[in-house]
Amino acid sequence: MITLDDYAPIVGEEVVGQLHRLAEHLQGRRFVHINSTAVGGGVAEILSWAVPLLNQLGLKTTWEVIMGDPAFFEVTKAFHNGLQGFKVNLTPAMLEHYRQVNLENARRFSWEADVVLVHDPQPASLIEVLRPQARRWVWRCHIDASRPHLAVWRFLREIVKQYDASVFSMSQFAQNLPHPQYLIRPSIDPLSEKNRDLTEEEIKAVLHRLEIEKDKPLILQVSRFDSFKDPVGVIQAFRLVRRHTPCKLVLAGGGATDDPEGPEILAQVQEAAQGEPDIQVLLLPPDAHHEVNALQRAADVIVQKSTREGFGLTVTEAMWKGKPVIGGAVGGIVLQLRDYQTGFLVHSPEGCAFRIRYLLHRPEMARRMGQMAREFVRTHFLITRHIRDYLTLMILQDNPNSRLIEL
Amino acid sequence: MAKILDQVAENPFRFHECFLMSMPLGKKVANLRELLEGLREIDESVLFYHLIQSRLALGQPAVEYPNDFALWAANALQDSKLAEKLSSFDPFEYQNLGLVRQAVVDVLEEYLWDLPFVPWARPGFEFHFCQASAVVMHSLIAAQTLKEFCAALTQVGLDSIYYHFFEARWRLGELKSDDFSYWIETNFELPELVKAIRDVDIYFYSLKELRETLLGLIHQHLGELCDHPR
Repeated sequence: MITLDDYAPIVGEEVVGQLHRLAEHLQGRRFVHINSTAVGGGVAEILSWAVPLLNQLGLKTTWEVIMGDPAFFEVTKAFHNGLQGFKVNLTPAMLEHYRQVNLENARRFSWEADVVLVHDPQPASLIEVLRPQARRWVWRCHIDASRPHLAVWRFLREIVKQYDASVFSMSQFAQNLPHPQYLIRPSIDPLSEKNRDLTEEEIKAVLHRLEIEKDKPLILQVSRFDSFKDPVGVIQAFRLVRRHTPCKLVLAGGGATDDPEGPEILAQVQEAAQGEPDIQVLLLPPDAHHEVNALQRAADVIVQKSTREGFGLTVTEAMWKGKPVIGGAVGGIVLQLRDYQTGFLVHSPEGCAFRIRYLLHRPEMARRMGQMAREFVRTHFLITRHIRDYLTLMILQDNPNSRLIEL
Repeated sequence: MAKILDQVAENPFRFHECFLMSMPLGKKVANLRELLEGLREIDESVLFYHLIQSRLALGQPAVEYPNDFALWAANALQDSKLAEKLSSFDPFEYQNLGLVRQAVVDVLEEYLWDLPFVPWARPGFEFHFCQASAVVMHSLIAAQTLKEFCAALTQVGLDSIYYHFFEARWRLGELKSDDFSYWIETNFELPELVKAIRDVDIYFYSLKELRETLLGLIHQHLGELCDHPR
């Protein structure tokens, strides 16, 4: 089992020591997380490592997953798209079904908590039924809600207003709400199967298994097949690069159980890639962490050309592996990549193609950027900083009206 | 000099740890006039956040501009001249945040006065007001001698450096002072070292660099025996 002390060689002993000292003030507190998928996507990944570590620190932390039928996830996907600015149609029947599924889930929840952190819109309306079961309710929005579609936000706002606080990944996503709002940036686990160091043999074995021949520079995008990740835009960029520089493209992605649009977008991508032997589209299972790790380490340039992005953990993962990353200038990617320092931000397939060419022709610059990116992640986007934010948030929930708490 | 490194202080230095939690207000401004109006109305805690605290929240690898207002002028308004004016503005020259607010307002007002138009932010690059809540805690790390102080400086987190070197200036009500130099001043006869620490141009260092600068200064003033930074 991984313990907190295992992170000391990576982040420094003083960082781990701080977590223990902070947690001393929270011994025995009951901390419940609720989301809508146990595997696939960034939220489930974060919870899979955060929950055991918080327990090691002496907080009684549990993770609950709500269940829903396909119609429920159609509604919540519409919420997701609407929060990210797409115009979506929500009928009263859809909203009723959303509430009904939450009500059914609420009936099987018997936990009691000091603080409950409800992740994203899917389980948000649980508060309407379960309010007395927790002392403080905090809504955690992982989505790029910088310009939400009004009809969707109007509906969700009435629910979110009932919470005691909310947490966003960036100040741009915060809303006009009647309670305190906090910023917590997501993070990655450097010791997880997705991010741990791999040997050359391990990387080669994965490439062999996935039938990827490394005979040309490798461009990679890892993400769910989702229109906001713009996989078709990546293929356009790749075709522009190929006019000048030989290389190959791998688009690797899995699905999440709460994302019904995946198959449709995958079909579009396969069509766009047709007839191009240097493009490989890999549909990986949601637990293919080892494969993703190896692909990221094998890649020469990593792309995350999203058009909306809550944070972009795949960007963080690639940066941690010391790779030069090109990302869409949206959402949390802007926080992570700074032109010519920790990566490149782009606004179009053309811009993406230009930066890929730049990095392929300047390997020394690519290496330096990768190193700077790794150090930036070490300071700001590793799990230990995230745990520290959770602990701080818990302490603040004990003293909601105070801006300065001295322990 | 070795002797002074081991001299026991009358009052030990007790390091604190400081956990900041950024709190967006959900309020944004899209042009320079709105920023000016906003600055007149916001809480001082918001001003403090954007001038000082944000560097602890997410320090960028190389700081091109030292505060959020200058960064916004450069990146969102794409107005390098204003960014330069806001960069050279030093909040530590003023006695309190009320005066700091007035000074920033003056800079923006004068700048707008001479412009024939109001500069607007690129869409998606609006300025979002934030403040922070802080949890402050004893770190259990203390130093009784300068030698122990140097060793402790390498053990504490960067947030301790922030708390004792930046936050202290408002807490002590003396913007030219900080906890470290205050402790050395009141426990040891080392006026030159105290002056050197107070003369550090803090706007140009990351917290990590500041830690090394402090260790370097002690090293330089007291000789070889001080623990060297890792």
